[in-house]
Amino acid sequence: MSDGVSRRSFLKTAGASAAAASLAQVAQAAIAPPEAGVPATPTLGPDATDVTLSVNGKPMKLRVDPATTLLSALRMECDLTGAKEVCDRASCGACSVIIDGRLVASCMMLALDAEGTKITTVEGLAKGDELDPLQLAFVKHDALQCGYCTPGLVVACRALLDKNPKPSLSQIKSGLSGNICRCGTYTNIFNAVLEASGQKPIADSAPV
Amino acid sequence: MTATKTDVSTMPTTNRPMNAGQSVADDASRLDGIAKVTGAAKYGRDKYPAGCLFAAFIRCPWGKAELVSHSADEVQKLPGVVEVNVSRKEGLYHGRDMGYICADSPLALKRAMEALRPVWKRGEVKTLIEDDIDKEPEPDVDTGKLLDAAPLKLEAIYSTACQTHSSLETHGCVVDHQGDSATVWASTQGTFSFRDGLGEALKLDAGQFEVKCEYIGGGFGSKLGGPGKEGLLAARLSQKLRKPVYVFCDRREEHLDTGNRPSSRTLVRLGVQRDGTIVGGQIQTWGGVGVARGGGGCTVPSNRYKLGQISKDHKDIAFNAGGPRAMRAPGHPQGSFAEELMLDEVATLAKIDPLDLRMRLASSVLQEQMRLGAKLIGWEDRKLTGSQTGVIRTGYGLGTASWGSAGSLAEAEVIIHRDGSVEARTGAQDIGTGYRTIMAIVAAEAIGVPVGIVRCSVGSSRLPSGPGSGGSITSPIMAPTMRMAAEDAREKLLAVVATAKKVELAALRIDAGEILLDAKAIMSFKDACGLLPSDAITGRNAGRKRAEERGHSNGVQFVKATVDTETGVIRVQRVIAIQSCGKVLCRKTAESQIIGGVIQGLSYAMFENRLLDRVTGAMVNPNFEWYRILGPNDMPHIEPVLWSKGQTKVCALGEPPVIPTAGALAAAVFNAIGAPVRSTPMSPDKVLAAVASGAKNERGAPAVNPPPNGKPENKKPGGGA
Repeated sequence: MSDGVSRRSFLKTAGASAAAASLAQVAQAAIAPPEAGVPATPTLGPDATDVTLSVNGKPMKLRVDPATTLLSALRMECDLTGAKEVCDRASCGACSVIIDGRLVASCMMLALDAEGTKITTVEGLAKGDELDPLQLAFVKHDALQCGYCTPGLVVACRALLDKNPKPSLSQIKSGLSGNICRCGTYTNIFNAVLEASGQKPIADSAPV
Repeated sequence: MTATKTDVSTMPTTNRPMNAGQSVADDASRLDGIAKVTGAAKYGRDKYPAGCLFAAFIRCPWGKAELVSHSADEVQKLPGVVEVNVSRKEGLYHGRDMGYICADSPLALKRAMEALRPVWKRGEVKTLIEDDIDKEPEPDVDTGKLLDAAPLKLEAIYSTACQTHSSLETHGCVVDHQGDSATVWASTQGTFSFRDGLGEALKLDAGQFEVKCEYIGGGFGSKLGGPGKEGLLAARLSQKLRKPVYVFCDRREEHLDTGNRPSSRTLVRLGVQRDGTIVGGQIQTWGGVGVARGGGGCTVPSNRYKLGQISKDHKDIAFNAGGPRAMRAPGHPQGSFAEELMLDEVATLAKIDPLDLRMRLASSVLQEQMRLGAKLIGWEDRKLTGSQTGVIRTGYGLGTASWGSAGSLAEAEVIIHRDGSVEARTGAQDIGTGYRTIMAIVAAEAIGVPVGIVRCSVGSSRLPSGPGSGGSITSPIMAPTMRMAAEDAREKLLAVVATAKKVELAALRIDAGEILLDAKAIMSFKDACGLLPSDAITGRNAGRKRAEERGHSNGVQFVKATVDTETGVIRVQRVIAIQSCGKVLCRKTAESQIIGGVIQGLSYAMFENRLLDRVTGAMVNPNFEWYRILGPNDMPHIEPVLWSKGQTKVCALGEPPVIPTAGALAAAVFNAIGAPVRSTPMSPDKVLAAVASGAKNERGAPAVNPPPNGKPENKKPGGGA
């Protein structure tokens, strides 16, 4: 399509997604060599492309521009706005999701690259009305103020506890070091994680 | 436990004792906590109405530049582009809006921005306060005489870097104009000022549209004062195009053009008696206000300490950078940084303990708070300033805060429904302070029912009018207002009960959800509501205010920190933050406010710095990699102490806890290494320079002034103590 070619000639973002697609091709080629004459993967884009994502156990059929990040797809196409766009370059953790058990900044991943994975967002942590004990501990210890970083931090804490069910305080600090909170709720978050992992929150000095 | 069964108003915790007071609600958690931890809370930036358009400003990329050419005509033809408008030729700061682009998706907008290919001609820039100071101002004649006569003198320059608000939800809003009505989802600290600023752009009367801000992702002062350019752009476009329009800054724009805490510079010349008495002197401050005309005030002296006869002058300096906006206690942390470190330097000069010095200079309330803080931090373990020789040295410091009260008339409503539920209604916004929860607690207490049955609606211009969240006035104004509305509702309900039961109204009370007649329970609150002749009764404050219920706040913070003298890295160990805030309405949110203030203060002291390129004027760190804010790994143990001894008024809490922290940490660092670091951020390079200079001086002698903002030190005042 001439329209597509001319767009691609100046669209940096489309170029980035093409590069990502070709990287994926290389990776796939290394695992399973393509049959002669058959391309290993179809070229995706520049026009809108179908993708099926598995989000919180549900399949989501979407049609997205190939340059769409997973974060944008979740927020704008799936109405899952718990993950926030704060820095758009993986330096704040507000867009954290869990993909196949790993904590991922969804602003740094293309929606197309998330196909075939299992994505858990903050909206998927509660089982129906039953909150994740971690979420309850957040509320109990007031581990939130404005709440904008909170979904990312809840997800990061869940990913930490999945790997390390009884983290020490320093392990909690390291485990959350990809997240920032501007209101300043960190100490209460530490207490929430300690409580959710069956440990005692940090005690302040006794009254004097 | 399930979400539906969880009563967040009774979630006791045990890790934090109440040291010096009591609260109305000890065990209540935020009423919106579950919405926030599940991702259900919808912020303005989370609204994507069907058919929504996306717009953003074209921004000047340099401190000063002329737009020579661009490809707007070609961009206009790109798929998805709705409108391109270049309206300005010259930008005088990095981030200045020069026009805008509107497109049908965020990606189309991004591609259009990249395709605009603007060509700029850069101009010469100024980026620092120091660019405007040729020579340090001399003291006036009287002050000069006073200084000459004093046996000890302190002469020093303190500086603080510019701090951006760094609200995690950026500035902006979504406007859906539907002809004769409109809905606006805004990220604002002032629901009503946002509404008042939009009418003209929307071409609608105030009653024709609603501004909603149920959840706000931080503001810290930058989201006061109306819709701002983002709101106006969204409103004008939506009015013109009759489609929803979404305008939110990205992180870079947020750093550049949504306000900041301006940089400051403070010259101090103090005369001191041998016993440490400060006789007075000269304090000259400067504020770095970028392109703004003012707003750079630096609150030193704070008037919390008796400093003798001070001659004070202030000057705002303009240069090529985005201007300031109110930021959490505007002017105060800057001033406190200079004042607290100055006091520690005076104490060292006079060879007295800096806590003793402050005890002599401060009010009795502050003295009492200092005594408690000193016990909690373990002040007796403090070593003499400059006496340590190891690699890792430990220091102790303290700082103080105070805040007054101001207020305007506001409105609130409390509705008691026939089904026994209670609704507290106020249009003011909960920016994360816990306002929604506090209002429910106040209404519940005034009526005499458990908090759990009260719902609170906030953040809508359709609800009763309330103040903007600035100056720590929201609770001091709204708690008495909500209380009056709740009392009104209670009295109306009791009047119904009195009539139905044929008893004296004066003999009826409500307590813990029971209607009492002469202190004996006669029916439940719910059954009483069932007697209502109409669906509901509404209590109002009816244009009354109770200014006498507002009061002043005081606070003291103690910091214990270690300094690695080989790397220059400061690690804060513990912070004791004592804060009076009058009657504590909700303990958990109050403690959170204090902890948050301390964290922002530490972040300010150690990391935050809007770095402008000296040649181009461009901010080189408009992101969160290089504009560092304090993260989990930097966290000390923080103990908030609510000081409510004998207080019944509702006082400011949002702002005071951010005031003393930076100064207290600076004092602790000075105590540890024996030389002051007189400039924020107290980064490793400055700490190492201070350590090196301290080693050359005698014990405790003041060091050279570290260069502010990395500028070579070539204008320091002659002499010194």
